[in-house]
Formats: sequence, structure tokens, C-alpha cells
Amino acid sequence: MKNFLNKMIILIIIPIISFIGFVNIIMAVPKKIINAKPGYCIQCHENKVLPDGHKDTEKMGLKDCIICHNSTKKGNLKTKLTGSHFHMLSGIGCDDCHGNNEIKNSVEYDKCINCHDVDKLVEKTKNLKPENPHTSPHYGKNLDCNLCHHQHSKSENYCNQCHNFNFIVP
Amino acid sequence: MSDDVKNLKGASRRDFIKSATGIAISTGIVLGGLGISPKDTDAKESIPKKWDETYDIVIIGSGFAGLAAAIEARNSGANVVVIEKMPVYGGNSIINGGDFSACGTKMQKEAGINDSPELMLKDMLRAGLYLNNPELAKIVAYQSNDALEWCANYIGAKFARLNFHGGHSVKRAHQTINASGSELVNKMLSKAKELGVKMYLKTKLERFIVNNDNRVIGIEVKKDYRFPDEKTGKKTYIKASKAVILASGGFSRDINLRKIHDPRLDERFESTNHPGATGEAIMAACMANAMDVHMDWIQLGPWTSPDEKGFGYVPLFCERLVGYGPMIDPKTGKRFFKETGNRKERADAIILIGHPVVILGDSYAVNKQVFPAALKKGLENGSIKKFETLEDLAKNYNMPLAQFKNEITKWNSFVEKKKDDDFDCMIFPDAKPTIEPPFFAARLWPKVHHTMGGLVINENAKVIGFDMKPIAGFYAAGEVTGGIHGAVRLGGVAMADCIVFGRIAGKNAAKEIPWG
Repeated sequence: MKNFLNKMIILIIIPIISFIGFVNIIMAVPKKIINAKPGYCIQCHENKVLPDGHKDTEKMGLKDCIICHNSTKKGNLKTKLTGSHFHMLSGIGCDDCHGNNEIKNSVEYDKCINCHDVDKLVEKTKNLKPENPHTSPHYGKNLDCNLCHHQHSKSENYCNQCHNFNFIVP
Repeated sequence: MSDDVKNLKGASRRDFIKSATGIAISTGIVLGGLGISPKDTDAKESIPKKWDETYDIVIIGSGFAGLAAAIEARNSGANVVVIEKMPVYGGNSIINGGDFSACGTKMQKEAGINDSPELMLKDMLRAGLYLNNPELAKIVAYQSNDALEWCANYIGAKFARLNFHGGHSVKRAHQTINASGSELVNKMLSKAKELGVKMYLKTKLERFIVNNDNRVIGIEVKKDYRFPDEKTGKKTYIKASKAVILASGGFSRDINLRKIHDPRLDERFESTNHPGATGEAIMAACMANAMDVHMDWIQLGPWTSPDEKGFGYVPLFCERLVGYGPMIDPKTGKRFFKETGNRKERADAIILIGHPVVILGDSYAVNKQVFPAALKKGLENGSIKKFETLEDLAKNYNMPLAQFKNEITKWNSFVEKKKDDDFDCMIFPDAKPTIEPPFFAARLWPKVHHTMGGLVINENAKVIGFDMKPIAGFYAAGEVTGGIHGAVRLGGVAMADCIVFGRIAGKNAAKEIPWG
């Protein structure tokens, strides 16, 4: 029995481990460094993330990025970076949302609305077509921000489970 | 996983499992695949030593039925929690069209409509092909008015208009002021919170916990579950001192389960339901000895459009127009079925034709009948179209013009004499011939809408087991139950069913004597 199991490990498990290692190298997952300098990409990203010839961003914040990246020049950053980058570049670090704990739990809605005034958001997007994304006949204006605005992965359009609204979701 | 590991015998095997478990999980290999089976688990042995939370009543699902149960149970003095697996409350109830079928109501009397519980029951049974549990159907019909009044007077939901739905003898669907169930759900949510009902989102039922006396005593859930990722969530045990009420809805979006019961309903058929309308809670109940019935009676909505997602706006357009405008097969330019027929008859007729059909109405009918916001939205997303002439309309849908115009002339003659000689469509007293431009039309193709089947309950909303006896401490209400509607659920009767049986479940569950 023991021999059989040892063989199983060699035949099945080891190739799998090698494969996982291989995949990890290709899709290098960025590190989440608590005190990372927001514009210093290589601190978290091992792979090159900025195009050739891009300005050195090490000392930059969001206000510097949008000098070039605005709606007329160089494309909008809204769909290029995940939400956590915008927070970091604006001076909001990991602990500001996740708290100063060892284990970083998911962030609750109440945390978001400490800074983001819901009524102001609803007002700001009231003329978006075909609908105002920050209020709905179903759920009113109190939907969890994170249903659409993910911070560590690409944001999504939650409405589009049933509708067909072409929103750009930052 | 840790339980399984404990149960495995033999040192070498255990050591192997310990070292290989993490890898096996991360690569999706289950232990069974390696020929190692965990010891058979006996449900009765798996009662947790420690409960994480305790309530008198634990309710699964936050739609009409779950919230009605929660409010009634709380008002009977019970300590209540509602769990919802999705990141939003309300399930299908909060996205539905807001039509509540009830009979003998104040609104009907004001509109001069003569209706009665006997007539509503007769309609339900006829549409249900007499497969309905007559006692349960009777409770819905006879208590529908009381349930509607409770929603209006106690909950504060506003109902603004009376609608007709195919298969009913009279107009008896009371539509909420915003043409959505959200009017009622959101007010029920506020009421439940105000009364002190505890509520959790992103909390998914894993299994029912049953003791040695076959009583349901609690549930195992996953908290902070992120639908549909089964790897997420933290195992938590919730004790129900009095009862568990299952109000988890139907399984219209569960393609695998759908195909088991009706193999025709595969990926080709979309659904009007929210993505979480899957069947794992029904299955978990069956594993706790609950009996299921009518699982293969799955309803398709005949009024949905292939030109928009989900439920959309076309149902609100189509259902207001039946009995006022004709439904045409674009290939022949002719009518093909009774427009006011029930959902099953009409969906089957469209599937038999094999391609989308067209519903149309003139300005008189559309302006009089269709909720303006629904019309506007439908026109905006392109699922409803507007035409200055019938010729333009025919051309757009590639209809043979001469046949189509003849058919409209014939339809108009039926409307004039208020009798349809071809298909016996019900023509309303205030219907007028389809002549006034502009004309409005939409394409129709069925989508999976409601699952009539589900758990067997009795008149007290107690779940019945495979020994034909009620399972102690276990109630159910709403779409998760079966047998009330038989083969076909009529329009608007789901809201009546959910509120009537949700309230019954809540009141009765609160009367249970705590088990410990």
C-alpha cells in the first residue's frame, strides 16, 4: 500500500505541483505590500506594467497621473487600473479601509460611505444614459459599492445580469 | 475536510492525505477520485457541538415569502433571523412586475369587477390541469384579499392599477405603483428591520441539521459567501430553537436541475430570473427527508422578448395588450393562438411555431394599457418598436403584407362584435379596432420563468416528509414549495401565494415549542 501511494505521488502529484509553479511564473500575482509607495509599481508588480517610454511614476500621485491621462489625452485610467490603485494614488492606503489588523477582512459598505457621500454620487451621475447607475427602482441608492466597483480585480456592471446598460465602471 | 481526515483509518494513508490534501484541493482533485472514500456520514452524528448563533426562527430567503414569514413570526414574539445568499435582498421578488392577484378586493369593486374566491380558485385549478393540491390552492384564493390588504395597510405598499393576465376570468392583478415587486419588498424590508428582525446577506445554506427525533434543529451556512464561488464563505452553525422556514425560491436558473426534470429546457432557453434562482436549497431539504412534487412542471413566460435580457420590458407591454391587440406569426402574417390563453398554452404554441412571433397594438390600446415608463424603456432598448403604418410594421418583421392586412381586418371585426370566432380570445369591453397610428410591436420568444414544483407542504406550511408526516420544526413557503399551482401558475398568483403562505409559516413557526 505504501509503495503504491508513493508511486501515486510521483506520477500524479509532482507533475501537478510543477504545473502550478509554471502557471504562477507566467501570471505573476502582484504582491500586496501594505506600505508600498503608490507610484512605485515594481514594489508589488514583478513584471513590467508600464509601456516603454512612460514617465517615471515613482514619486507620483493621482493628481500627477491625470495631467496626461484625462479624457482628451492618453486615454482614461478609469478602466485600466483597479480601484485600489486610485485609492493608493490618492493617499488612501490598505489600512485606511481594511483596518490595522493582521488579517485583512473584506471591506463593508459602511466604510465606503464614510468618505463617499451617496446622495452626492446619485446627483453626480443623474444624467448618465440609459439609467443612473447609483439608484434603481429595485434597490434604491443603497447597493453595496463593491457589487460593481471591485478594488482588487476588474470592476463589473452588476445591472447587466438582467439589463444591457453600457456603463464604463471605474 | 478535517472531519473526513479524522475518519480515515491507517497511519500511512492518513499521512499521505495530510501532505497531499492542500495540493489535491488546489488542483480540483477530490479524494474520491484517488479511490479513498471518507467514512459514511450519518446526518444525526453531524450535529455541531457548539452553535455559533441561536434564534427562535431561522428563515432562508429574503423575497416576498421569507419577509412575510419574518414579519409575522416577529410580531408573534419570536426572535428571527433571515439569511440571503446573494449580495442583495429580494431575490426574484424585487425584480418582478409587481402584479398581485387577489379577488373580491376594494379596487375590483371600485372598478365594477365582480369576482370571488370561488372564481379565482376555479381559474387556478383549470389552468393547473387539476393537478393542484385543492386545499392549498383554496387557501391562496380565499386569503388573497386579506393578504393584499395586509400589504397595503400594514406594510404600506401602494397598488395603483388592475391588470388582466391570461387564464384569469377577470382583471384581478393589482399592480404596485412602480410596476415592480420592489415597492412591496423594500417596504417589507424596512418593516422587518424596524421590528428587529436580524438579516444577513451573502449567507448561503449548506444543509439542514436534524436531531435523533427527526426534528430540524438548525442549519449549517457559509457566511461571507460570494455567489457563485463555492470556494468562498466561512462555515457557521445557526441553531433554530423553534423552526426553520425555507423560502428560497425556485430553480429557473439551474440548468442542470431543469434538464433533469424537463430535458427540453437546456442552455437554449434564457430565464427571466435572477442568477441566484438555483435549486441547491430544495435539494438540501430533500436530503433532510422533505418530499418534492411536480418538479417537471416548469413554466416558460410566453411574453418575453429575444431582443432584451432577462424579464425586460416587453412582458409589461405584451400582457397589457392581450385582449386589445393581435399576436401574429410573422411567417404567415396570421394569428395562431388565443392571446388571452394561459402561459403554458401560449408558450407551447410559440415553441411549436419555432420562431419568435409578434404582438402589436395601436395608439389607443397602447396609451390606454401600457405603463408609460415600460413603453419608454422598451422603445429605448429597441425591444419595442413604433411604426407610422401597418405596412411599415409588416415590412419590418418580413410579414406577407396582404395576409397580414386581411388578418387585421378580421381581428377588427371580432373586436367590433366582442367575439373572436377563430381562437376565442377574450376581448375586453373597452377594446377598439387596431386602426389608430402610430402602431407599436414587439417580438416574443419564451424564457424560463417559474418552477411550479417544489416541497410538499400542508395547510399550516409544514414540510411533509417521505413518511407522509410533517417534519418537526420545518416550514416552507413560496416558489420553493410545490403543488399549489399544479401544471400552470397563473399571472400574479405567485405574489398571493408567497404572502399568504409566508404569513402562515411565520405565525405557525412562532407557536412551536423550543426543542432545547
